[in-house]
Amino acid sequence: MSRSEETGVMESRTFVLRHKLPIARVEKYWKGLEEGKIYGTQCKACGAKFSPPQADCSYCYSSDMEWVEISGEGVIECFTQLYSFPQGFEFAGKPYVIAVASFGDFRIMGWFVSEKEGEVSLPQVGMKVKAETGQDETGVWKVYFRSVE
Amino acid sequence: MGMGSETRVGIIGVGCTKFGVRDDATIQEIAFEAVREALQDAGVTREDIQLSVVGTAGTRSYELMPAVPINEYCGFAGKGPIRVEAACATGSAAVYTAYTSIRAGIADLAVAIGFEKMNEVDTPTSLAVGGRSGSYLWEFHQYGTTFPGYYAMLAAAHMARYGTTDKQMAMVAVKNHRNAAKNPKAQFRKEITLEKAVGSRYVAYPLRLFDCSPISDGAAAAVLASEEKIKELGIDNVVWIEGVGYSSDTANMPKRADYAGLKASVEASQMAYRMAGIDDPLKQIDVAALHDCFTIAEIMAYEDLGFCRKGEGGKFIEEGESDFGGKLPVNTFGGLKAKGHPLGATGVAMIYEIVKQLREEAGDLQAELKNYKGLTHNIGGTGHFGWVYILGV
Ligand SMILES: [Zn+2]
Repeated sequence: MSRSEETGVMESRTFVLRHKLPIARVEKYWKGLEEGKIYGTQCKACGAKFSPPQADCSYCYSSDMEWVEISGEGVIECFTQLYSFPQGFEFAGKPYVIAVASFGDFRIMGWFVSEKEGEVSLPQVGMKVKAETGQDETGVWKVYFRSVE
Repeated sequence: MGMGSETRVGIIGVGCTKFGVRDDATIQEIAFEAVREALQDAGVTREDIQLSVVGTAGTRSYELMPAVPINEYCGFAGKGPIRVEAACATGSAAVYTAYTSIRAGIADLAVAIGFEKMNEVDTPTSLAVGGRSGSYLWEFHQYGTTFPGYYAMLAAAHMARYGTTDKQMAMVAVKNHRNAAKNPKAQFRKEITLEKAVGSRYVAYPLRLFDCSPISDGAAAAVLASEEKIKELGIDNVVWIEGVGYSSDTANMPKRADYAGLKASVEASQMAYRMAGIDDPLKQIDVAALHDCFTIAEIMAYEDLGFCRKGEGGKFIEEGESDFGGKLPVNTFGGLKAKGHPLGATGVAMIYEIVKQLREEAGDLQAELKNYKGLTHNIGGTGHFGWVYILGV
């Protein structure tokens, strides 16, 4: 039943919100994903490391940052598999797995995917993973984790 | 009023609407419902109010700047309003704004109103708003996070490290539904069985449908006054704010040091305990409202607030310590889990429930009082905000 058919309620005017995302100061991160690389930043003044990357240091307030590639083997810290999709992710079609994995001093978020195409499997906390980059069906670049165990 | 720093602040009136799907009323009308009850409870009129604070997480309602429409409808035009937002902890921040204004000697009678109407949009839209509670660019935009998903990640970490089980989480739901069944303001007034809870479908693995609080509409209000004003009005049914603590944590999940607890809960509770002179919460506090937006959140809160050791939250519920007759009854009113969780209303509604307890007006849900002290614990986002109040009479 549509809202206009319910009793005691009317439907509002349509209101579409689409935002511009300013990425100029962290563009290397987004370019990196297209080249299969994942970057964090490190403050040249105090050494603080940031993932996701940021252009300014939250600790010493310097803006003298360098890009650091995040690579190697990661460890799953936490994960979930979503069965209820938010608006904008209907394309997923089936439950998707979001995880946070640590790579040395850096942690990154990603979608965990199974080795076998089309198969959905769950990771475990503590599982060793590698990180790859790729585009989803909507063209957004992101990180994908795969088990290396 | 001098320095103001010595001014004690008391809660003299509280109100709360029925929680649930409230398609029957606008935000103005549900706020009015709560405010009218709070003013009547306090025995004051709208003219006595000097400042109104309006709290809502926002975005889900068609009214995007709702403070003034609500203020107008409640007859408070000219008395503020200050609009407050702290995600699901908005209500606690609204009460704090009223509290600090009185402590500072700027107002001596203020109202904090919390509300949310989450059902004005459909569920995928509501999930997309909640999924933006972290950091949009790095989380929702790329990965389609949802609010249940965020807490599910914490649950997975807690289960892996401490062996917390599905069954222990379900026991939180069973307890809170049992309590809500006796609360006329609750969204769900039906008991559930452990089998039904552990057998329900996954929303965000490892969280199942019955691990999650519902999508709720509702409002709550609290009238606060200075000790001097309370004496002047001759009010003796006062619940005092004896302690308050707050903290926060990173927006981005990858920037957190740990996932099996909430640092904001630990820090907010320690700040509130220090202020109220609490060194043994189990002995000094009689009843607590803990932020159980998901069952795992109540289990982590037992630990983070020092009701038990870290990792023993599962055992705490299993052994009945958070139930009536246990060491410290928690969410006697049904919790967010079953009473409902209209985001901006929740923190004020927790105050409402603990005030009712401390005034011994909780009826069938009355906890046994020894020290006449209660606690509210209200989290915004996934530990993005943390608030704790210690109330006493
Ligand atoms: Zn620095």
